[in-house]
Amino acid sequence: MNAPAGLDDLASVPERIQAEVQRAIQRSIKGVEYISSSGPSLGSTPKDILQVRGTMNLYHYRPIADEIYRVPILIVMATTNRGYILDMVPGQSFIEFLLKRGYDVYMLDWSAPKPEEKSLRMEDYVLDFIPDCVRRVQSDSGETDVTVIGYCFGGVLSLLYGSIFPDGPMKNLICFTTPIDFREMKLFQNFSDRRYFDVDRLIDSVGNVPPEMILSSFEMLRPASRAASQVQLWENIWNDEYVKSYRMFDRWATDTLPLAGEYFRAITKDLMWDNKLYCDTMSVGGRSADISRIKVPILHAVAEHDHIVPYDAAKPLIQKIGSADKEEVMLKGGHVSLVAGANAIKRLWPKLDSWLGERSI
Amino acid sequence: MADKSNDPAAIWQNMMGEMEKGFNAFANQAMASPEFSKLVNQVGGVSAGAQKQLGDLMEKYLVSMNLPSRAQMVSMAERLQSIEGQLNEVKAMLHQLQNTSGAPDRHSAAPRPPRTKRPPSADGEQK
Repeated sequence: MNAPAGLDDLASVPERIQAEVQRAIQRSIKGVEYISSSGPSLGSTPKDILQVRGTMNLYHYRPIADEIYRVPILIVMATTNRGYILDMVPGQSFIEFLLKRGYDVYMLDWSAPKPEEKSLRMEDYVLDFIPDCVRRVQSDSGETDVTVIGYCFGGVLSLLYGSIFPDGPMKNLICFTTPIDFREMKLFQNFSDRRYFDVDRLIDSVGNVPPEMILSSFEMLRPASRAASQVQLWENIWNDEYVKSYRMFDRWATDTLPLAGEYFRAITKDLMWDNKLYCDTMSVGGRSADISRIKVPILHAVAEHDHIVPYDAAKPLIQKIGSADKEEVMLKGGHVSLVAGANAIKRLWPKLDSWLGERSI
Repeated sequence: MADKSNDPAAIWQNMMGEMEKGFNAFANQAMASPEFSKLVNQVGGVSAGAQKQLGDLMEKYLVSMNLPSRAQMVSMAERLQSIEGQLNEVKAMLHQLQNTSGAPDRHSAAPRPPRTKRPPSADGEQK
């Protein structure tokens, strides 16, 4: 029987009031729990540390499938953030997904550069850390070929590495939300306007760029979002799943790393000011890093609503790269939800598996 | 199903979402101006300059108190790091020696799965 709409609404009022009262009580209880407890344990997929050298950490995740693909994967993390975004909790871990699908996974993750590492240059990352990790992956796996996956600025480093070493051993390249045309990162461009931003003075004063500065520059892109997310947290604090998810992402987002001073100077001058990667004039340690020299199969995953790396900044990657086997996949979501979270589980991970599986034998 | 347009909680959430979007858009517009860049970098520059001056003062104070300065600690850390690096090299060499001698090591103690996996479509399986 169809009740009139008005009556239906009236009938739901006491239920709504009851539900709201219940939630208000739950909010108070869970609010105390939230303050007094720590968040979920992150990055807990079993792994071995293969190498630690200064800011560089190389992990090998223990395989869990009965048989694995021939070609191992090396994930290159962004230098501003921790690698556990790709290994949140069981069931929401990209690493765990790859292991279950039969991949042999290594990760180049970063720890905070120490004050004495302020002199690390782009050369150290591209011509030393990545090649060193690739060699160690080859040695540990016994395979010559390696698939490289770069997340955000890890993608930029992977592109630079691939363009300087186009003859291998990189067999496939996957980039997540990787900027190429830095002019299109409009707000970052404005923050680092060369007329007003004295990068030399900053680096000479502070050494390494403090994480608070990196974090506030990210947060300035959406200045209302932190406050709004805290209001949403309070509204949903009765919901354990929401709180767990909030804590995971909030912890990761605020766990920003400092950047080595000389490395930041190079990023500012070569990429933000001179846009050298886009203009094909980039060089690292005197070696040309033109991405048209990369010929390996490449998949570039970009997010439709990415506020950190807008699509226009990432779009030229596929146009400019030299590979014949190249694909861009645009998925709904933002910079982080593209690779972690419900959207990633449903969309990106299966797509990546079907693309990479046939190229990993 | 309850009508969302009459639900105060839904109206509140919707309003919050719209306010967030509106404020972000407004702020982004303001932050895209050269004036904003100039102001932010002036403030940032002053703060970095003050930090440097404070650091220099502190260095002088530590010297006068006969305490190790930051530069000395950094130098010690560099030496330690260099020792760490050399230890890692020794470890890597030992690891290599162990591999060539055929003795099992910590990492290879557990047998690794064979590298024979094929993608589901190649085996005729469903993806």
